[in-house]
Amino acid sequence: MQDWFAQNIASLFTSINAETVQNWFVYNPKEPILFNTGLFLGLFLVFYSIYIALKNTFYPRLVYVILFSLFFYYKSSGVFFLLLVGSSIVDYNLGNLVHRTQSVLNKKLCLAFSIVLNLSFLGYFKYTNFIIDTYNSVAGGHFEFQKIILPVGISFYTFQSISYIIEIYRKEIEPTKNYVDYLFFVSFFPQLVAGPIVRAKDFLPQIYQKLNVTKEDINRAFLLIIGGLIKKTVISDYISINFVDRVFDAPSAYTAFENLMASYGYAIQIYCDFSGYSDMAIGVALLLGFKLPTNFRTPYQSASITEFWRRWHISLSTWLKDFLYISVGGNRNGTFAGFLFPALFFFGLIVWGITQSPISNIPLIVAVGATVLFALTCLLSKEKERTLFTNVNLMTTMLLGGLWHGASLRFIIWGALHGMALAVHKIIMEFFPSKKDAKPSFLGTVWLVVSVLLTFHFVTFCWIFFRAKDFTTALELINNIGKVTFDWEQWKIVGQGYKNVFLLMAIGFAWHYLPEKLVEKMQGIFKALPIILKAILLGLVYWLVYATASAGPQPFIYFQF
Amino acid sequence: MSQNKSYFVQSFTIFAVSIAAFLVFKSILPKKLFSESTVNSKNVVIDSLLLEALEEDKNAADGDTLSNQPISFTAVDGITFPDEKFEDYKGFQHLIQFYEKLFQLETKHQGNVRIAYFGDSMTDGDMIVQDFRANFQNKFGGQGVGFVNITSESAASRNSIKHEFSGNWKTQSYLNVKKPRSPFGVNGHVFFANDTSNVEWVKYKASNLPNLSELYNPTLFYGKSNNRSGKIAFKVGNDTVYKKLSPNKLVNTLVLGNTTKNLKLDFIKADSIPVYGLNFDDGKGVHVDNFSNRGNSGLPISTFNTQVMRQFHEKLGYDLIVLHYGTNVLNYGSLNYTWYEKRMKNVVNHLKECFPGVAILIVSTADKATKYDMDMKTDSAVVPLTKAQKKYAIQSGAGYVNLYTLMGGDGSMVKWVEEVPASANKDYTHFNYRGAKKISSMIYNQVYGGYEQFKRLRANRKQPKPVEKTTDSISVKTDSVHVE
Repeated sequence: MQDWFAQNIASLFTSINAETVQNWFVYNPKEPILFNTGLFLGLFLVFYSIYIALKNTFYPRLVYVILFSLFFYYKSSGVFFLLLVGSSIVDYNLGNLVHRTQSVLNKKLCLAFSIVLNLSFLGYFKYTNFIIDTYNSVAGGHFEFQKIILPVGISFYTFQSISYIIEIYRKEIEPTKNYVDYLFFVSFFPQLVAGPIVRAKDFLPQIYQKLNVTKEDINRAFLLIIGGLIKKTVISDYISINFVDRVFDAPSAYTAFENLMASYGYAIQIYCDFSGYSDMAIGVALLLGFKLPTNFRTPYQSASITEFWRRWHISLSTWLKDFLYISVGGNRNGTFAGFLFPALFFFGLIVWGITQSPISNIPLIVAVGATVLFALTCLLSKEKERTLFTNVNLMTTMLLGGLWHGASLRFIIWGALHGMALAVHKIIMEFFPSKKDAKPSFLGTVWLVVSVLLTFHFVTFCWIFFRAKDFTTALELINNIGKVTFDWEQWKIVGQGYKNVFLLMAIGFAWHYLPEKLVEKMQGIFKALPIILKAILLGLVYWLVYATASAGPQPFIYFQF
Repeated sequence: MSQNKSYFVQSFTIFAVSIAAFLVFKSILPKKLFSESTVNSKNVVIDSLLLEALEEDKNAADGDTLSNQPISFTAVDGITFPDEKFEDYKGFQHLIQFYEKLFQLETKHQGNVRIAYFGDSMTDGDMIVQDFRANFQNKFGGQGVGFVNITSESAASRNSIKHEFSGNWKTQSYLNVKKPRSPFGVNGHVFFANDTSNVEWVKYKASNLPNLSELYNPTLFYGKSNNRSGKIAFKVGNDTVYKKLSPNKLVNTLVLGNTTKNLKLDFIKADSIPVYGLNFDDGKGVHVDNFSNRGNSGLPISTFNTQVMRQFHEKLGYDLIVLHYGTNVLNYGSLNYTWYEKRMKNVVNHLKECFPGVAILIVSTADKATKYDMDMKTDSAVVPLTKAQKKYAIQSGAGYVNLYTLMGGDGSMVKWVEEVPASANKDYTHFNYRGAKKISSMIYNQVYGGYEQFKRLRANRKQPKPVEKTTDSISVKTDSVHVE
């Protein structure tokens, strides 16, 4: 026992020297702090004990959390924490200005100024090189790329700041009582770097409430943390490094079946990554007594693309709906901004088709086909004008939503595919409305399964554009998938080669499609456990994370059939 | 109120205890959840000679006598490169005959230079080699992709030529076949059109890349057989041309019409005739053949049949052979590479016998990273392997390029993977197009640096000998594929 202690516990402390301690507190661009790291766990434990001690205070607690949040942001993004502080001062004052201004016109001007300012910050960091690249390739310019580092999470906190100002403008909230409260909202570390995007109207009231956690909250928090850790670290990270990344790096070096599996793999990888990290954020916030909105509700169970967007990255899609879709006209009005982006997109698509036509006619056919299809979704509708506004504004939302994910043409294509699908789904629903109160029947179940499968495959197809490093690679991968033939023997051999990866994928999908009742039952068992067993279970999950992460990349396998 | 506090304390307790539990689990449960097991299947590409060699030489002693002494050279054509130290050995001396051919090409615009580039998955899909070829062709002239297989596992990923083939070819590879039905070609493969009910075909289309935009002087290479009725058919304009195969010699060639953009060959009644591949070159300047093979350790080259290779050499006239291997030798746990060194020395000597007068260049393994604890670091086998590769280069009189140090040495692969835009893939082993270009420039620059030094030494040599006689007469005399 003594030996064991010396080896495992005492060594933890003897190995600490000045340098390791420095590493805990100094920003290292190679190791940004993440919830799933041992460092965060250690820091959080210390932070949390003092947090509990400060629980009944107000400003000391707020300032304490702000300091920790800024430190957390400094550990993820270095000196950019100053940017966060600076932009929050500006936004806080702009919020007050919007609130105080009486005349409608001036209010509008203030609002426009704040949004333009925030978006230009985001635009500078995120899109400068994309704009230079586009300009160079379209107009043949020779501007040099700028060396701009994207501050972590800037897309998220910019959106939160915008929501704060717009909600003040719409009189949905009052401005915070002072700057400290506002900085607390913007910098709150659980959702700071990767969401969910917390809305001012949901969050601000919680600041002023008495801090409180219930038994139910704690159980939910630990369930979210456990689930998030497994999704993010065990499933997503492992299949990405050992399989998905390799195939997407060089699709043609792999068999058709591996290409297909890699696209399924990416579908579960990105879900586990995004939702796992969101869940951890929600869980950590809950432990501090703050409720963040649910961000993912098993999106691949959706039976239509419209439903998918109600279940995928909910905080982002509602943000886009409330502040972008509604702002450009929603389903009632057509605005210049609403028509601009879809018009540019379809114009660009057809120009691209024409430039490609000396080599192949397919791009032009695709371009014209897509434009006609989109036009048809409006023309076939009974309420032409209203549908036109809805679809065009939806398209704008999806195009810009795509671009928000990253500055690249691929994300625009991804957004456009979803925008088109939403429009197509709307027109189908108009012709074949689903019966709301239909009795469960065998055929109904079959149709539901087919719809879920169809939706899932469409989403997976779109992910290829999201993930592939360029358009050519995406088409290469799709082309390779086209060559898949049913060959059970071959599949079995590939399966043996990637047995760990495929096993994790299977677990990921099975978990995703588990019936809700079963999940609730399992959660019930966890909730009923004594505290000590909950803790041991959590410790076991850490080990799982550790043991998966320490497995090196699997050796390379090349199949030949 | 106190209730509320207790839930905060409760969750803190859960956290604290969970950390303790983790420490216990960490010490009693296995360190890794997934072992890095390998699969055994006939469908997984593994070099069978490598496995045998490992089995035989598990406990060979690691004798090191080379690394302390300076390396000096004896003159070739009156040229002697300065002494070198083991640490930065490059062995330009052993490339003199190749440099002389380049020099004749550059100054007198005479002759042509041919390079065979043997490799593994690193050069798959013409990666690295296509840039290496472009470097030479831009500097010294020459057009065409060189020798191309009939079937290839990496045809789909190759950009320098579009290559398709029917699925009914019978392929034998030196990677996993010891006794092929007919000897292997210079590409380490032999292909048979044995399916008599369906026609085997192969299709090539030139790319749009500079110097490779046509299929120059397409020439078929095939071997010896008793089948006298084999034919091939291909289209010229709207006419179908039939040509009889006469498999009389160990290696036969057949010129298929003129330079063209597209070529599709049908093989009719050609069963049992060993087919090797096609050569596309314009007959002048530099040509580089890519003989890449996933999973190859380099050892299979020892199975080359000397007589067959000499006939290939007569027709193609190689001046330099590059051996770019190592990736597949890294993963076997042992850091003692004596077994590999010994066998690769034999491989180099065997190549010299097969291709008299050829210069040989060993390119070492590139950096490769593996996870140690939680961090990706340079694999501990990389440095020992590069050393072993240097040793057999020195012992067998070959040039040497240390890719590992050129890349930046320790930790460089991690940098190449993580830099934006990335130069290497997430397997921390293979390069992407960007990285492959960098790698090929590194190799080319070193070889070209040696050439510049050669030119200076050549200009200053005391008694210039007539060079034409001493260089490999075979390649000069009969570099005649397109004369037939």
